[in-house]
This record gives sequence, structure tokens and C-alpha cells, in this order.
Amino acid sequence: MVNNVKLGKNLRSVSIVGIGATPFMNLIKNDTYHGLTNGELFGHAALDAMKDAHIEPRDVQYFFHGSANPHVLNNCITPNVQVADWFGMRGKGSLSHSEGCCTGYIALEEAVFAVASGAYDIVLSGACDMGTGMPDGNTPDHMRVELSTEVLFPDLDSIFDRAYGRYLGGGPGMNHDDWINLYAHENNLTPDQVDDVLNHQSYHMRRAGALCPRAVRRTTFDEMAKEAGYDDVWEYMKSPHNPKMTQYLRTSSDSCVADGAAACIVVPTEIAHEFTDKPVEVLATGASVLDAIVPHLEKKATAEAARQVFEATGLTADDMDLVMVNDFIGSSAFLAAEEIGYLPKGEGWKYVLDGRTAFDGDKPINTNGGRTSYGHAFGASGMADVFEAVTQMRGEAGLRQVKKLPKHVFLRGFGGAQNVRCSILRAGF
Amino acid sequence: MDNNNTIKTEDFWNPEHIVEKFWNGLAEGKIYGRKCKECGAIEFPPHLACNECGYHETEWTQLSGKGMLKSFVFTGILNARLELEDRGLKYVCGEVQLEEGPAINAVILGVSKKKGREIESKLPLPVKPVFFDMGRYTTLFFEIDE
Repeated sequence: MVNNVKLGKNLRSVSIVGIGATPFMNLIKNDTYHGLTNGELFGHAALDAMKDAHIEPRDVQYFFHGSANPHVLNNCITPNVQVADWFGMRGKGSLSHSEGCCTGYIALEEAVFAVASGAYDIVLSGACDMGTGMPDGNTPDHMRVELSTEVLFPDLDSIFDRAYGRYLGGGPGMNHDDWINLYAHENNLTPDQVDDVLNHQSYHMRRAGALCPRAVRRTTFDEMAKEAGYDDVWEYMKSPHNPKMTQYLRTSSDSCVADGAAACIVVPTEIAHEFTDKPVEVLATGASVLDAIVPHLEKKATAEAARQVFEATGLTADDMDLVMVNDFIGSSAFLAAEEIGYLPKGEGWKYVLDGRTAFDGDKPINTNGGRTSYGHAFGASGMADVFEAVTQMRGEAGLRQVKKLPKHVFLRGFGGAQNVRCSILRAGF
Repeated sequence: MDNNNTIKTEDFWNPEHIVEKFWNGLAEGKIYGRKCKECGAIEFPPHLACNECGYHETEWTQLSGKGMLKSFVFTGILNARLELEDRGLKYVCGEVQLEEGPAINAVILGVSKKKGREIESKLPLPVKPVFFDMGRYTTLFFEIDE
């Protein structure tokens, strides 16, 4: 790969002035929510973001709709067309995009481009995925059934290169454990130590998730251990109640599939204070994409995208007060944080064991609980991270508010085998 | 007078079938890659341009399929390769660096959990190609070259 990209300066600065999000939920199993549709979920998130920015739908000039897999999960290929009427944007310009589980982060990047270019002043960008179900045959949108393994399993491979990688087979098999395996060898960690680190990380993520009303999993592991008859939660974490799903990842380090939507409103920074007292500037976004056939792709792409955004902003990892990481592979959270320099090289695992990466630690990561607790509505998860980052930067995260009000937040998006984005947000201006 | 009507489309645009040649090659026990005409790096699996230096032109070359296994992981419920499980194969997935330079994530056959634990401390280990008949196509796996 040729790492020669130097990000230029946007034609004008762009800030987030409104955020909205549905809870992440299981629409199939929850009687209250069963029957809600893509247009309704996206519409509620969009209207919440507009309300937050004190604007009406008529004020928004363009919108982006992100979804990881609109065809299989919603039997549509242009969801932007199908959702526009739900929030008063009939006839306005819009765009659908789909970059797997990185979709929500790219949603922010695209919206910033649209405003930074000067083309639009007020842009909505959101993402929605309904991961727990699928259409019940050829029926109206509210009729959904649980996603069957017969549909899901063959479709999972569709993120891998069909020319070669999918059929050479190594990339898909390395997808989950490549980086933690490499890290364990580089740092002489035993399988037991890795297990401890990942269990501690999941434990603390769940502590945050338990305090997050929008999270899909809110029962702490302490409560789960007690209910299962364990006095020692760490014994429970290593028990058959929490089985290994891969060589390294237990259920607790695997993402919890969910349905949900999130959205934001971006405008030129020069007028941001007309919409909110607490705008959040999007300083820059670094990007790198590597197919799953490339060894250690997540580490390489994260390093490259981080290099770009740090060079563009002149900031370092020491300036970051919070890191949000797409961690549908649970180990990604601290590995990515260490790769970008937020945690010292080779020491990240110790920070996890000491609880320092928890929401109430000094190096917080994924304060909404991450994919393992907040849930994973695929494309929407990244925008849910943006929602959480802005909430924390406003000091409005309640019981899970980090100790130091964040001035800078680092977002590491990842997905689609694999797109990577690294964005830096700034508050307090 | 416009003579363009006399030119057949296939006369001015007739590209090689890179993917097709690669897979047909495997069926014949041949491993094709592309070599960069500027930096000489091997592009594997083969593509049009060079991903090492970013030059636009590459040419065909053949690879031995021999290389070194540098790291590997076992799969579990979440990431098992069903097409291999269905055939009852023992395998791991790992990084193979071919002797001509390029490295890919690959499937290594014949590695059970027990054997995997034995060889892990001996990495890197030499591997050789296995041309594996999947029915409708032949793919490239590897095995430990003992």
C-alpha cells in the first residue's frame, strides 16, 4: 500500500449542531417496538436531530441515508428515496450509501464534505439498520420476522472480495482474531491473560451500558453472575455461560445485533452558534480501506487513517479525552486505542485490566457500552458513536459522564471488510 | 466520412481476463500473479495495477506457491469456514508470505487443534501449495511443508 495521502484543509469548517437517536433494540422480540419500520426509525432519529438543532425539516437542504445492508435486511436498494417523506424532505436531494459497519462514520464524513464544499449549509446525515429481522416475504414494511440463519450465513460472506479472497478463504477466517492474536504474540500474553483482558473490557463496557438508556444490554455481569449462582463474576465470565465464539472472543466480546437509527445535523462552523450553544467541530477525517486478504489489515488501516487525521489537525493522541471505536470485534476497542497512541504501546491490556479504559477511568473508551452492550445496528452504530461523543462533549451523559469534560474525541470507524475512518471532534469553542 | 462504424468494439477494447485466468490456472496447478513493470513487486492475487508502488502497469508471472506461515488463528462458531467444515477438513487461517514477496491471509490445511498448539512456537514455518478441488472451481490452500 502507498501511504502518501496528505489531507487538505476543508474550504470551510463544519460543525455538528444537532443529534438524534432511537434506542438500540430488538424489534422482533420487543412487543412495544415490533412493527416499526426503517422509515419510522430513521425518521424519528432525523426529527430528533432537527429538534436538537432547533430547525424544521423545511430548513434541511440535503440528507444522507446510511445502511449496511438495505437489500437483505429491508429488501430495498435506495432507502434514501423510501425514507425521505417520513421527515418532510420530499423532493430534496439525498444519497444512500452502504459501507458495512463503517457506514455511520462515513455518514459523518460525507455530510462534512457536503457542507465544507460550500454546496449546502444545513445537512442531515443518519444511518439505520434493522439487524434482528428481515421482511416477511413480499409484504409491507411492518411485517418482519427473525433473520434466519439460512439467509444470514450465506450473506455474511458478501462483504468479502468475490474475485479472490472469499474463495481463497483465509481473510474471512482471520477477520475476528487476527489482531488480538498478533498482539498477544508481540506482547507475550498467554491465552489466559488475553481472556482476562477481554473479559475485563466487556465487564466495564457493560457497566457503561447499564447506565445508558439507549443500550440494548443493560444487565451488568455482576447481576448475571449472581443470577447464575456465581459469587465470583470473573469465574462466571470464564464459564460456559459465556462461551468462546472464536479462538479468543467469548459471547461477552461479541457484538449484540440490534435495530436502531441515529442522525446528526451539520452546518458551517461560522453559523453553528445560531443553532446550539454547544456545537462540536469535525476537524478532519482520515481514511484507509483494506480488503480482508491483507494480513493485519485492521492494524494497518487504523494506523494509516490515524496518521492522516493527526497530521491534518496537528493534534496528538495525548490531546484526546475520549475514544470511540467500532468494536463489533470486542478486542478492537483497546487495540485501536493503543494503535493510535491513546494508550501506551504494549501497555493497553494493563489499562484494561486496571479499569482505566472504563467510562469512569482516566482513558475512557466507548462510554455508551460499545457494540457488546449498546448493541450493534450495523451501519447505525457509527452514528450512535457520534451521538455519544457529542453527548459526552456537552456534558449531558448523566451517570456515565466521563470525569474530564472532553474537548477532543477520536472516532475510529471500521467495517465492511474493511473500511476505516478516523475522525477528530472538537468542542468548547 | 466517419469510419468508426467499421471498427468492431472487440478490436479496440479486448482486455485480458485476469480473474478467469487465475482460477483456470489453479485448476491446472499453476499460480499466476502479476509483476509491476516499474518496481518489480509481485501483485498477488493478480490485479491490473501495482498496489506496492501505485504504478499502472503489471505483467503476468508465475509463483511457486511456497512460502512461510507467519501467524495463524483457529476458527470458532462465529468465523468458521463452512465450506471447509462441511468437508470435515482440519484447518487454520493464517498469514502466508510467499517466497516471491507478497503476503496474504490464507487457509492452511491439516492443522488440528493439537498440531496447532505444537507448531505455534515454531513459527515461521515453510508451507507449500494445495490445489483443492471445490467442485465448480479449484482453489489455493496451503499445508505445512514438513
